[in-house]
Amino acid sequence: MKLALRKMLHNLSALTDLGAEISSTHNFEEVMRASLHTLLGTLAIPKGAIAQFSARPRMLKIMAAKGLPGAIGGHIQLGRDEVKRLALRGRPLEVAAEQNGLSHFVRRNGDILKRLRAHTFVPMVVHGELEGVIFLSEKFTKEPFSEDDTELINTISRHIGMAFYNHRLLVSLRRKAEENRKLYQDMRRMYQDTIKAFGAAIDLKDAYTKGHSDRVARYSEAIAREMGITGTDLEYIEVAGYLHDIGKIVVDRSIINNPRPLTDREFQELNRHVTTGYEILSNINHPWKEIAYMTKCHHEKVDGTGYPQGLRGDEIPLGSKIVTLADSFDAMMTDRPYRSRLPLDRALSDMQRNTGKQFASDVVAAFCRLLLKEINGTSRDRVFIPVIGLKFDREAISSTLASMIEEPGPMRDERDL
Amino acid sequence: MSTLDVRTRIENGVAIIYPGPYLNQLRGEGLEGRCGELLASGIRGIVINFEETELINSIGISILLGIIETVNESSGSLVLSNLSATNRELFEMLGLLVHVRIEETEEVAVAKLSATAEVMARR
Repeated sequence: MKLALRKMLHNLSALTDLGAEISSTHNFEEVMRASLHTLLGTLAIPKGAIAQFSARPRMLKIMAAKGLPGAIGGHIQLGRDEVKRLALRGRPLEVAAEQNGLSHFVRRNGDILKRLRAHTFVPMVVHGELEGVIFLSEKFTKEPFSEDDTELINTISRHIGMAFYNHRLLVSLRRKAEENRKLYQDMRRMYQDTIKAFGAAIDLKDAYTKGHSDRVARYSEAIAREMGITGTDLEYIEVAGYLHDIGKIVVDRSIINNPRPLTDREFQELNRHVTTGYEILSNINHPWKEIAYMTKCHHEKVDGTGYPQGLRGDEIPLGSKIVTLADSFDAMMTDRPYRSRLPLDRALSDMQRNTGKQFASDVVAAFCRLLLKEINGTSRDRVFIPVIGLKFDREAISSTLASMIEEPGPMRDERDL
Repeated sequence: MSTLDVRTRIENGVAIIYPGPYLNQLRGEGLEGRCGELLASGIRGIVINFEETELINSIGISILLGIIETVNESSGSLVLSNLSATNRELFEMLGLLVHVRIEETEEVAVAKLSATAEVMARR
């Protein structure tokens, strides 16, 4: 085979290797190291280094080196004019040549260029911007670079320069993505804090319901999780728990805190809070439209006797059924203007009696499983313990819960409706 | 990137290394590491037998140049042997034939390095 053809094939093979390396998923330092080896090996150059340009501070940082122990991490400071001059010369330049227009740069960095054994340096320029510089020693044979060699160095350095440019873009994109992620997290935190603040504001209307929205949110979230709900659906339900009573903001405080049985007019006024809440929430440009509807339905009953729409069974969103149970359980376990809190066994008995009427059986079963796990100590979560306390017959309650899990409702099930 | 272990044997105080079928970055780094270990252990004569080596890429050449320099700086001797016609052409094209000792066979390379080692020892 003729020498010229052999050389051409050798150079093509090197460019193929370089392309494969640059487009590989190796880390960038590894890519640069392999690229440098490819360039050096193609022309039998024993030593060399690749430096990346940094605009702030203005300098070249050695990222890859071969045959130069301790060179990696070294810096070369650059003046503003030197950056411009390097950027204007996208071709190999001999260090010793005075006509390269960079004699000042060469003189000022004489020591480090000597340490790098730099005989030739190649500015890598992409879209008129300096991306870095490749430093090359003499060839192993001490022969000068031929014109063909210079062309090949040019071609390979353009590829490496483009890799720098793409890497810089990627790093910039990653930084922006990270900034956006943090911004999003901050917004979410603010959003969650706002929701909690709304819940607290609702509860402040009634001295007896302090912390009610917060507890309903926690119970709802725990029950939903127990039912296998995850991701945004789980979050919807938690938020619905916080905001389920938001409509009470417009209900007269005297009605909410009335210790006597309410009149029909007062009941109507109080019951309006679900539609009012829906109107408030559905007017917000909210990403989760389901939440407004969940809050609207939290007084619906699976047997169709609830309000405001008299929905039955599966017509009621699952999130609403969960909030309904959480809301009722918390109401039973806390003092109210019209009655004291119920003992746990009585509350469970009420729940069991109303399963299939007011409450969905699968939600009741999930609630009972959770409560039993807390009482037995098989769950590290303490969702219900803070409100139920420890003064109850553990054995009797465990037995009740076990039977409710087995058969959540004695009468009928919403599936039969 | 992990490196591959490279087969080596010692004969008459001379190390013979077999880089395998493809001298690329992975094999090259294994070869470089093995040479470094041999020099550190006091071996000064190294033969690299390329009989099984069908292809040497640019990275392989670059690493090989580094090995040649390291051996020289350690006052050692390196001989390449059993080069295929293609690999010999590659070395010739890069102008390396006059700078690197090459022998036709491993036996000749080992014999010459052993003799050199004996002469050095007598001095």
